[in-house]
Amino acid sequence: MAENTILIIDDDIDLVEILRVTLENEGYRVIDAQTGQRGLAMAIEQNPDLILLDVMMGKVDEGFQVAYLLRSNEVTADTPILMLTAVTAQTGFKFDLAQDRDFLPVNEFLEKPVSPRNLVDMVRKHLPTNV
Amino acid sequence: MRRALRKPNEPIAPGSAQFTSAASLRVRLDWFNKLRWGAALGVLAVVSIAGVGLKADIEVRSLLLTGLVLLLLNTVYVVRSWRFPATGIAIELRLVKVQMVCDLILLTVLLHFSGGIENPLMFLYIIHVIIASLLFKGRQIMQIAWLAIFLFTFEVFGEYFGFLSHHHLPIAGEVAHDLPFILMTLGAFWLVILFSAYVGALIMRHNRAIKNELVARQAELLDEDRAKTDFFRFVTHEIKSPVNTAQSGIETALDLGSDTMTPSMRDVLERSVNRLKQATEIIKDLADLTRGGVLKEENLRVVDFNQVVTGVVDTQRETADRAGLKINLVLPDPPVTLTTIRPMVETIVANLVNNAVRYNRPGGRVSVRLVDTGKLVRLVVEDDGIGIPAPEQTLIFDEFYRTEKAREKSNLGTGLGLAIVKKFVGELGGSLELDSTVGQGSIFTVVLPRESRKQRGIEPPAVEIVP
Repeated sequence: MAENTILIIDDDIDLVEILRVTLENEGYRVIDAQTGQRGLAMAIEQNPDLILLDVMMGKVDEGFQVAYLLRSNEVTADTPILMLTAVTAQTGFKFDLAQDRDFLPVNEFLEKPVSPRNLVDMVRKHLPTNV
Repeated sequence: MRRALRKPNEPIAPGSAQFTSAASLRVRLDWFNKLRWGAALGVLAVVSIAGVGLKADIEVRSLLLTGLVLLLLNTVYVVRSWRFPATGIAIELRLVKVQMVCDLILLTVLLHFSGGIENPLMFLYIIHVIIASLLFKGRQIMQIAWLAIFLFTFEVFGEYFGFLSHHHLPIAGEVAHDLPFILMTLGAFWLVILFSAYVGALIMRHNRAIKNELVARQAELLDEDRAKTDFFRFVTHEIKSPVNTAQSGIETALDLGSDTMTPSMRDVLERSVNRLKQATEIIKDLADLTRGGVLKEENLRVVDFNQVVTGVVDTQRETADRAGLKINLVLPDPPVTLTTIRPMVETIVANLVNNAVRYNRPGGRVSVRLVDTGKLVRLVVEDDGIGIPAPEQTLIFDEFYRTEKAREKSNLGTGLGLAIVKKFVGELGGSLELDSTVGQGSIFTVVLPRESRKQRGIEPPAVEIVP
């Protein structure tokens, strides 16, 4: 079985390393980017099987912008995106996937702090089953 | 008895002491109209009783006519105030002056038909001067004072020199042609009127200065308060990431390495995770408490309140079962909907139900009732718990305040739950009520409008304490 590749886009390098330990332990290959721009380039170039995207890097909505760009590129249009959120404090807006799916082009929100169990469950849930 | 708490950040309307708005002047005018009803009816009553009832020898017809004219004029004022909204401050002020001149003339006419200088009610002029000092500034107050002096002096000398008729007041002495008495009385009258105008102007100027200072101070304090909230929001945001990451890190270590670590090491890490979870709870609560600007049109959704309450109660059932608590849920049928911010409403319900479960007695009951009252929705959360001592009933809505009993009962609370409830209820335009007895339990009642629209200036609700 070819190993699945997961791209983590998050500017918190410590969190990236922590998530990497869990995911690599599960047998996934992990690549990462610390900025939205690099993450976008990497996603198009390496076509990962799943993307973990931090909602807010440099700017409040950088994560969303990246998500839109990923969805509009034909390489990554169907790649599952799990969005890591902790924006509740900044904007006062908790995401409601059922209501907001139309304009939020991601598959799932994972609220930080993400527990290893939850992370693995969600990754399994959204990874394409045929691989 | 119900007691409403002071609203600490309710802004004082700037400049209301100077009537910078026509509407604020109109409020004062309406009050004077009420006074005038009393004056006119008083005149009619006294004249009727004295002239008709007691058959006193007074000018009943002329006096009644004057009273009726006052009544008629006041009707015109009231109808005008009712029909036409206040437009410009200048127009309103001019109208006040006209009304005041008419009042002074009518008072003079009344005095003329009831003894002139013989009538001690001449001092009613002072009332007008006082009212003038409430409405006007410096020179305008003096103009009213001088008009009063002119009118009364004219009336008195008119009678003395015979070009005005004298109507004797039966019980008074015959002094209308007693020049030394007239001069003495008028002298005292002039002095009192002018002095009243001077003192009135002085006091009001002083009051305005104090009020201006208060308004300025309050604006400064509100700015500082906002800056502090912004600061807290910033701090909360900055602390969140390191805490979250640390928690994820330790959880990962526990998840992957628990087989290889000693039990004591595992225990240390589990304790650390628990404390970090507590920190996360506080951070989430602080985030709720310090955020602003959520209540925007685009964030409003139609929310099934029945569903929200049911959802919250379902998540609490497990904890309640473990504590041997029964949760009794009463919902309206058909379900009630709100146009509101869903997460805010969820947090309000969750925090109240969570408290009712957490601070209950073993085997106690929690009752959650939702009542549709048309324009409003009432949520009542009742418990059989430890209750809140009266002196602490207002304090529990303060940030980080926890009663001693609550601290004994549980070390899990953040002390922010009720502060958040109070803030959110206020932002959504609702009201909050607490009825609690120590040892018997507490009843929290939240009333929310069916539609939360953006309020002018967000302010917390006054919490009503119902002992």
